[in-house]
Amino acid sequence: MINKTSQGGSIIVMSLLVAMILMLMPLPDSVRLVRPEWVVLVLIYWTMAAPQRVGVGYAWLVGLVMDLLMGGPLGVLAFSYALICYIVMLTHLQIRQYPIWQQAMSVFSLILLMQMIFLLLTPLSLDLSFGLPALSSTLLWPVTYAVLRSLRRTFHVS
Amino acid sequence: MIIKPLFSNDPSLNLRLLLALIASTVLFFLDTRLNSFASVRSNLSAAVYPIQAAASLPRNAVDWFSDFFVGRQELKEKNAELEVTNLLNNQRLQKLEDLERENLRLRELLGSSFRLRDRVKVAEILTIDLDPFSQQVVINKGERDGVHVGQAVLDAQGVMGQVVRVSAFSSYVVLLTNPNHAIPVQVNRNGLRAIVTGKGLAESLGVDYLPHNADIRVGDLLVTSGLGGRFPSGYPVGIVESIAYPQGKAFSEVRVKSSAHLSTSREVLLVLNATNIDAEIAPSANKLGDEIDQ
Repeated sequence: MINKTSQGGSIIVMSLLVAMILMLMPLPDSVRLVRPEWVVLVLIYWTMAAPQRVGVGYAWLVGLVMDLLMGGPLGVLAFSYALICYIVMLTHLQIRQYPIWQQAMSVFSLILLMQMIFLLLTPLSLDLSFGLPALSSTLLWPVTYAVLRSLRRTFHVS
Repeated sequence: MIIKPLFSNDPSLNLRLLLALIASTVLFFLDTRLNSFASVRSNLSAAVYPIQAAASLPRNAVDWFSDFFVGRQELKEKNAELEVTNLLNNQRLQKLEDLERENLRLRELLGSSFRLRDRVKVAEILTIDLDPFSQQVVINKGERDGVHVGQAVLDAQGVMGQVVRVSAFSSYVVLLTNPNHAIPVQVNRNGLRAIVTGKGLAESLGVDYLPHNADIRVGDLLVTSGLGGRFPSGYPVGIVESIAYPQGKAFSEVRVKSSAHLSTSREVLLVLNATNIDAEIAPSANKLGDEIDQ
C-alpha cells in the first residue's frame, strides 16, 4: 500500500528535467521570444493531477533550480512557481473538471501572473513581446496535457 | 468529524505559501545585496551545470555530424582559402613583430608600463538560451580554470562582454548589449573618450553623454580605452552606425554596431585581468624609469 502511494516520482522528475532542457535549448532569435514556459506547464499538470506529490515546497525547489539555470536573481522564479502551485492546489478539483480550452485559459492567466511578478522584481522595461510566452503556452497546453496524461496512465503515477 | 471537505482549505497550505514567500525574499536579498553570498551561489550553479550541459548536447551532436560528413571538395576549398589568409597574416605579422619591438623600446624609454600582448584563454559558449532579455551567455570555463569575476571576454572580432558570475565548471558572461552594461571606449581616429552602453537589442550599442559638437563620425571605430581597469585597452568594440542630433536635448544619439559577433560566435577568449598585468610589469618599468632618471 505504501508502495502504491509513492509511485512514479521519478517520472515527475524526468518530465521536469525534459521541460528544463526545452527551456534552455537554443532557438533562432525570431522564435525564442515565443518560447512557451514548459516547466510551468509541466508543474501545473502534476499539481493538478497529483497534488499529494507536487506541492508548494516542490514547486519552490523547481523554481530555485530554474533561477540558477537562467542566471537571474535567486528567489524570483522560486516564489512565482510556488504561488502558481498554491493557486492550482486551491482549485485543482475544479480545474480537473473543466473542458480543455477552459483549462488553457486558466493556464494563460497563471503564466501572465508569473510574468508580472517577474517584471516587478527585475529591472527591465516592458516590451512588446511581453505576454507572448503566455500565449504560446496556452496554445500548447492541450498537447502537454495529452502527453503527460498518457505518461501518468502508463506509469501509474499517483 | 472525519468528513473530508470537497474543497479542502488546508491551513497548512497557506502556511507553506507564506514560508515560500519568506524563503524567496531572504534568498533574493542575500543574492542581490550580499557579496559574500556569491560563493554559495557558485556552488549551487555547479550543481545544476549537468542540466545546462545536457541542453547544449543536441546542437553539439548536429555540429559533430555536419563536421563528419563534410565533403572532400569543400574541405579542399576551405584549406586553400585558409592558406591564402595565413600567408597574408604571416606577411603582416613580420611587420608587426618589428613594430611591436620598436613600440616597446619607445615605451620603455618613456618609462610607462604597457603590454602589447595580453595572455588569453580559449573558452566555448554553451549553446543554451537564457532569458532573452538578460543578454547573458554561459561559457564552459569556471573557477577551476582560473576564471574570475570581471574578466574581459573577446571573440576574434572584438570585445563581447565580461564575466559576472563564476561557478566551478562554468561562468556567466554579460554581453555588451545588456542595458545595464557600460564600457569605456576611445574613438580610434582621434582618441576622443566616451562610454558605450548596451541597448538590449542584438548587436546594437549606443554612446551616451556626447555633446552635439563632439568629433565623431559615422564609420568611426571605437576601441577600449583601458580606463576603469576592467577591459584591456586597444580592442575593437564597435563601429559608429548612425548619429542623430535631437533638438532640445543636450546629447547626441549615437548608434554603434558591435564588432564582436555577439549572437553567432562559438569560441571566445578570456583575457587575463588588465590590473594583474600592470602589477606584473610595473616594477620593471619603474626600475627602467629610475635608470633613465639617473
